[in-house]
Amino acid sequence: MSRSGMQEASSKETLLNAAVLHWMHELAAQGIVTTDNELNVVQWNHWMEQNTGKRASEVTGKNLLELFPELIERRLDRNYKWALEGQVRVLSQALHNYLISMPSLSGEHEYAQMQQAVRISPLSHEGRVIGTLTIIEDVTERVAREAKLYAQIEERSRLLSSEKLARNEAERANRLKDEFLATISHELRNPLNAILGWSHMMRVGKLNETNTERAVETIYRNAKSQSQLIADLLDVSRIISGKLRLDVRTVDLLSIVNAAMDSIRPAADAKGIRLETTFDPAAGPISGDADRLQQIVWNLLSNAVKFTPNGGRITVQVQRRASQVEIIVTDSGQGISKEFLPYVFDRFRQADASTTRAHGGLGLGLSIVHQLVDLHGGSVSVHSEGEGKGATFTISLPFMGVVSNQNEAEGAQPVPSDDIISFEGLPSLHGLKVLVVDDEADTRELIGQVLKECGSEVIKTCSAAEALAAIEQHKPDILISDLGMPDEDGYSLISKIRALPSEEGGQIPAAALTAYARAEDRLRVLRSGFQFHLPKPVDSAELVTVVASLAGRAYKS
Amino acid sequence: MKLTERQSDALSELINIAFARTGAALSELTGHRVVLNPPEVAVYRTEELRGALAKFVPGDVASIHQVFAGPIAGDALLLLNYDGAVQLTELLTDGHKPSAYLDESAREVLTEVGNILLNACLGMFGNLLNVHVTFSVPRLHIETLDELIESTMTGKAEMHYALVIYTAFQIRDSSVKGFLVIVLSVASLDRLIQEVDAWEAQQGT
Repeated sequence: MSRSGMQEASSKETLLNAAVLHWMHELAAQGIVTTDNELNVVQWNHWMEQNTGKRASEVTGKNLLELFPELIERRLDRNYKWALEGQVRVLSQALHNYLISMPSLSGEHEYAQMQQAVRISPLSHEGRVIGTLTIIEDVTERVAREAKLYAQIEERSRLLSSEKLARNEAERANRLKDEFLATISHELRNPLNAILGWSHMMRVGKLNETNTERAVETIYRNAKSQSQLIADLLDVSRIISGKLRLDVRTVDLLSIVNAAMDSIRPAADAKGIRLETTFDPAAGPISGDADRLQQIVWNLLSNAVKFTPNGGRITVQVQRRASQVEIIVTDSGQGISKEFLPYVFDRFRQADASTTRAHGGLGLGLSIVHQLVDLHGGSVSVHSEGEGKGATFTISLPFMGVVSNQNEAEGAQPVPSDDIISFEGLPSLHGLKVLVVDDEADTRELIGQVLKECGSEVIKTCSAAEALAAIEQHKPDILISDLGMPDEDGYSLISKIRALPSEEGGQIPAAALTAYARAEDRLRVLRSGFQFHLPKPVDSAELVTVVASLAGRAYKS
Repeated sequence: MKLTERQSDALSELINIAFARTGAALSELTGHRVVLNPPEVAVYRTEELRGALAKFVPGDVASIHQVFAGPIAGDALLLLNYDGAVQLTELLTDGHKPSAYLDESAREVLTEVGNILLNACLGMFGNLLNVHVTFSVPRLHIETLDELIESTMTGKAEMHYALVIYTAFQIRDSSVKGFLVIVLSVASLDRLIQEVDAWEAQQGT
C-alpha cells in the first residue's frame, strides 16, 4: 500500500472511530460511562445525561465514587476495583436492582427507581488496564412484565384450583342430594307401610278389639311421624327459598322451653331418660316467634333423645349471659366425632349412613335449628368431647332489655305430642255450638268427632254458602273453617261474616284451617278476620284448646 | 495427560480457596449462607469431555461462558443442568416463581453468579502464574451438551485439554450440583501444572 493509501486508510479509521464515539455518546440506548484508571469520569453519554439529570460537563474529570458516594455505601465500588484488576463484572437486576440511582421514566409499573442490568469492564492497552467501561441497561419494563406475567400465572392457577374446589363441592352436594332422596323415600315409605297394612286389616274386619286398638295406635303414630317429616321438608324448602317469615313478638322463653319439654317427655320416659332443667329467672323475655322458638328447642330435645341411650340424661339450662339468653341442651348420648362436628348443621347430613338407619330421620332437624336461630339474630354452637362423650348444643338469643308493654309475653302453643290422644285434661266444651266448614268429608268428620268428645254441639257444613245459612239458622258460638274450598274459599266466607251485624253472628270467634301452615299464611288469615290459625293435619288437643280459648274470649267479651 | 494424585490434591486446594471467596461473595449478595463443596478435579482430552459429562447433564445445559486471553488462554464455563439452574436462581433470589423456566432476570442472576465464580478461579490462576489475563464479557447459553462442546471447540485446531472441576452449591438446606470446565491448550495446561507443582513444593517446605 502506498504511503498516501495508508494515510487514507488511517484517516478513514480515525473518522470511523470518531463516528463510533459520536454514536455511543448521542445515540446509544444504554448508559455508557468510561473512566480513567483512577475512576475519573472521561465519557458520560447523552443517555446518562437524560436519565441522571447530570450534564457531561458537570461530571467529566470528577471521580465516579465521589460523584456517587452511594456506590461505596452499597459496596458496589469493589466492582470497579476488580475491573481495574482486569475482571469483567456483571451486576444483575435481581441481586442489585440498580448501579446508579435514576428515576424510572418509562411505562406503568411499581418501580420508582429504574431497574438496571450492568456490565463493568476493564479497558486495556498493551496488557495494562487504563480505565473502566460501564454499560447500563434499563430493564424496568422487562422486570415489570415478568412480575405481571407471574402474577397472571399465579392467578390462573389459583382460579383453576378454586374452580376445582367449587366443582368438588357441587359434586358433593349432588351426592348428598342423592343420598337424601334415598333416605327420604325410605323414611316416608316406612310409616306409610304401617298405615296401609293396619288400615287394610281394619277394613277387612279381621281384627279383634285389642288388635284394633293397636292398629289405631300404630296408624296414628306413623301418620304423626310422617306429618313431622313433611313439616320439616316444608320448613327447609321455605328456608332455602327465603320465604320463611318470623312472627315476632315478645315471648317468654321459659314457658316455651317448658312446653317443648312437656311434649318430648313421653319419648324420653319411654327410653328411661331423665330430663333435668335449670332456669335462670333473669332470662327472658326475648323477641321472637314463639312457634319457631319452640320448634328449635323441640328439635334439639328430640335430637338429644334420639341419640341418648336408655337410662341416659338430658339437661336443659336457660340462662342469661350479658346481652344474650342462652338455651343449653346437654345429653349423655353418643357424642359427635371431631370430623363430623363442623357438618352437624348441614342439611341432609347425618354422621354416617348406618347411623341414619339406626336413628331414622332426614337429618334436617339441626339444619332447621341453625336457620331458625339465624333468623332470630342468634347463634347456635355445638360442643362434644368426642364419640361416646355426649354433646352440648348452645343457643344464644339476643336478650330484650326492656319488656314491651304492648304485648303480653306470648306463651307456648300446645305442641303435637307423640302420645296417644287423650281427652283427659283438655278443657270441656260443654254447651258450645261449633260450626265446622270443610269441603273434605274426612276432615269434617274428624273435627266433628273430636269436638263432640269434648262435649260441644257440632254443626257440619261443606261450603261457604251452607255455612252462612247455618249461622243464620243455628247462631253457633264458634266457627272452624277450612280456607281452600271450591266455589268460595274461607277468606271470602269470613269477610262476609264480618260484614254481618254482631247480633247476626258478625263477631263470631273464628279459627282457620289450612295446610299452608306458616307465619306468612297466618298473617293473611288474621288480617282477613280469623282469630286463630290451625295447621293441618289438625292436632286434636290443639283443636280443643283453640276452641276453648275462642269461647273464653267470647265469654269475656 | 493425567494429573498425579499430588497435583490433583494441590489443584483442588487452590481452587477451594477461590470457592471460599465465591461462597463469601454470594452469601453477602443474597443474605443466605452459600457454600461451595470442596472441588473434585479431573483432566480430560476435549474429545473425552462428552462422555465424561453426559451422565451429569442428560438434558439441556445452562452454561456461563467467558473467554480469557493472555499468556494462558482458553474458555471457562460454569455448567448447570436446566433444573439445577432454575433451582439455583430461586434459592439465590428468594423467588417463588410459579414457573420452571429461566426468564431474563433469572438468566442475568446466573450470569452474575457464573461471573463471580469464574473470576475467582481464573483470578487465582492468574495470581499463581503471575500473569495478567483478560476476560470477555460472560454470556449465558442454554443448549444441549453436544451443541455446547461443539461451539466451544469451534476454531480450535490444536489439541486441547479440559480441566473439569465438580462441586455443588449448598444454599438453604438445598444442594445444586454444577461444574466448572476450563478448556486450555496443551501449552497453557503444561504451564499451569508446572506452577501447581512449584506451589505444592513450596507448601511442603
